[in-house]
Amino acid sequence: MAGTRLRTMRRTLITTAALLAGLTALTACGSSSNSSASAKGLPDQIKLVAINPMTGPAAFAGLAANKGYELAIKEINDSDLLGGSKLKLEEVDTKGEAQEAASKLTTAISDKSIPAVFGSVLSQDALAMSPIAQKSQMPIMYTQAGSDGVVIGDYTWRATPLMGTYYSVIKKFIADNGYKSTGIIYTSVSPTLTDVATKTIPELGMKITKTIATSATTQDFAAPVQQILATKPDVVTVLLQGAANPSTMTALRQAGYTGKVLGNSAASAGNLDPAGAAGVGMVWPVDFNYEQKAASSQKFVAAYKAAYGEDPLNYAAEAYDAAYFVARAIAAADSTDRAAVKDAMVAESKKSFDGALGEGLTWKDGTIVLDGVVVEHTADGEKLLYEGSGQ
Amino acid sequence: MQELLNAVTLGSVYLLFALGMSLTWGTIDILNFSHGAIFMFASFSAYLMLEHSALSLGLLILLGMIAGAALSFLVQFVVFEPILRRSKDKGSAEIQVLIGGIGTGMILLAIAQHKTRSNPFGLNGSSTESTTWHWGGAHITDVAVLTTVVAISLWLVVGWWLRRSRQGLALRAIGVDADVAALMGIDRRGLAMVTMAISGALAGLAGILFTFLQVAITPESGDTLLLKAFACIVLGGVGSMAGVAFGAFLLAGAETVLLTRTDGSWVDAISFGLIVLVLLIRPSGMFGRAEVRRT
Repeated sequence: MAGTRLRTMRRTLITTAALLAGLTALTACGSSSNSSASAKGLPDQIKLVAINPMTGPAAFAGLAANKGYELAIKEINDSDLLGGSKLKLEEVDTKGEAQEAASKLTTAISDKSIPAVFGSVLSQDALAMSPIAQKSQMPIMYTQAGSDGVVIGDYTWRATPLMGTYYSVIKKFIADNGYKSTGIIYTSVSPTLTDVATKTIPELGMKITKTIATSATTQDFAAPVQQILATKPDVVTVLLQGAANPSTMTALRQAGYTGKVLGNSAASAGNLDPAGAAGVGMVWPVDFNYEQKAASSQKFVAAYKAAYGEDPLNYAAEAYDAAYFVARAIAAADSTDRAAVKDAMVAESKKSFDGALGEGLTWKDGTIVLDGVVVEHTADGEKLLYEGSGQ
Repeated sequence: MQELLNAVTLGSVYLLFALGMSLTWGTIDILNFSHGAIFMFASFSAYLMLEHSALSLGLLILLGMIAGAALSFLVQFVVFEPILRRSKDKGSAEIQVLIGGIGTGMILLAIAQHKTRSNPFGLNGSSTESTTWHWGGAHITDVAVLTTVVAISLWLVVGWWLRRSRQGLALRAIGVDADVAALMGIDRRGLAMVTMAISGALAGLAGILFTFLQVAITPESGDTLLLKAFACIVLGGVGSMAGVAFGAFLLAGAETVLLTRTDGSWVDAISFGLIVLVLLIRPSGMFGRAEVRRT
C-alpha cells in the first residue's frame, strides 16, 4: 500500500515537473519572439533612455538636450521611419554626478528591451559611462561631453563635434580684429575647456601672454583678471562655466577692459544675462546657432519654436540629430538587438546627412564633424557673426 | 595695491559668511550645514522679488536678512530643537544636527535649482547700480567698500555683544556648559532661537552683498562658501571672534596671492594645506582655547 502510494507520488511529481518544463519552454519561445535579444523585427514600442543632468550646474544643457530628444522622437513617431513602431523616451537625472550617471546607465543596461541610450552632456559623467557601455555592448550616443576618453569604441558615439575641432572657426574674427596676443582664464574643472585653453588656443597663431586656471571653489575673479590684464594682451580669452562667466566679464569691465572677449558656448543659454551690459562683447564659436542658414537647420528651428515657443540652443540641435541618427540605425537594423543596432550605426555613419546642425554632416571616429559658426553676445542676445571656416 | 584690495574684499565676504556660522557653533554648539543654502536662498528670494519690482540695494539687504533670519529660525525650531530634545547624548546630537542641516540645505537647494534650472542668477534688476572707482592702477567698487565696512563693523558689534552684554555672557555660558547654564536660569532654547535668527540674518546679508559683488551666483554657490567658512572657523579657533576674522583674511590673502602669482591650479591645495599646517601646530586654531583634560 505504502509502495503504491510512493509510486503514485513519484509519477505525479515527474508529470508535474515535465508540465512545468514544457510551460517554461513555451513561455521562453513566446517571449523570445518579442525579446530584443535575438529576434528580427521591431516591437510596437521601443524604449530609449536619456541619461542627463536635469539638476545641478549643467542642468541647463541637460534639459535643453532632452527637449531636442523629445522633439525628434515626436516627429519620428509621427512619421513612418520605424514602420509603425513607436519610440518611448525615459529621462533620468544624473544630478551632474559621475557615479549617479554610471548607476543610471547600469540600470538601463539591465533592461534588455532597451536598444540604445543617450548619454550625459557632462564629460565627467561620460568618462564614467563609456567603459561600462562599451564593455556591456550598449550603444550610447552622447551630446556635448567633449573630453578625450568618451568615444572609445563602436558602441560609443557623440553627436557633438569636439570644441577643439571647430574652435578654429574663430580665426577669421581674430584676423579681422588684428589680435596678436591673448591672456587666458579657464576652468580646470572642465576637461573640454582645459583642452581648448592649453592646446587649441595656442594653435590659433596668437602669442599667449598668460594662462590662469580657476577651480570649482574660486570665488574671486578679480585676481585672475588683474593678472591677465597686467600682461596687456590684445584680447582676453575666458573659458569658464556657469556664474563664473558673468562674474569674470564684470570684473574685466570694472578693471577697465573694454574690448571683446573670446569665450565658449557655456556662456550661452542666458548665462551672461546677470552681467547686463558688462556681458556684451563676448564672442565664441559654437556648432549651431538658430540663425544659421542651412535649410535643414531652419526646418528644425521652426519645429522647435512651434513646440516650445523659444529659439533652440545648440544642445537641443545636437540631441535632435542624435535621436534621428539612432532611430535611422534601429530602422536599418530592423531589430532592437544591441549588436545589430551598433552595426547599423557604423553603417549609417558612413553616409553624410542633413540635420539640425547643418547640411552634409559627416562622422569621424564616432563624432560629428562640422565647421562651426561664430556668435557674439549683444545687448539683444546672441547674434550670428558668420558661418563656416571663414578661412 | 590691487592685490590688497582684492584680498580685503574677498576676506570680508568670507568673514561675513563665516560670522553667523561661528556665532552658533561657538555658543549654542550648533554646526549649521544649512548656512550655505540659507545664504543662497536669501539671495534667491531677492531675485524672485526683483522679477516684480526694481528694489534698491538697501531694500534687498533688508529682505535678505529677514529671509535668512526666518529660515534659520525655522531650521532651529523644526529640525534642530527636536533633535536636541530626543538625543541621548551630546555626541549623537551633534551628528544628527549635522545631518539635519545638510538635509535642510538640500531642500532649499532643490527649490532654487528647480526654479533657475541651475542657471546663474543675479540682482541686476535692482534700481541700484554699482560704481567703480579708479585711482592709480587700482580700482574698487562701491559694493566692495560697503561689504568690507559692513563685515568689519558687524564683526566688531557681534564681538562686543558677546563680550559685554548679558545675553552674550549667557550665550558664552551655554557654550561652556549648557546644563549648568540652564541651572543658572538661562533660557537655552529661547537664546538658541535668537542666535540662529541672528546667524541667518548675517547669512542673508552676506548673500545679497556677495551676489551684488559677484554679479551672479548659482544655487550651488552656498556650498562652496560653506567649505571655506568651515576652514576659516577651524583655522581661527571655534568660538573665537578674533579667530574667525583671522581665518577669513588669511585664507583670502593666501588665495589672492596664489591666484596672482601662479597659474592658479594649486590655489585650493596650498590654501587648505596651509590650514592643515596651522592645525598641526595649534590644533585648537590660532585663537582657540587649548582643550584641558583633567585626568
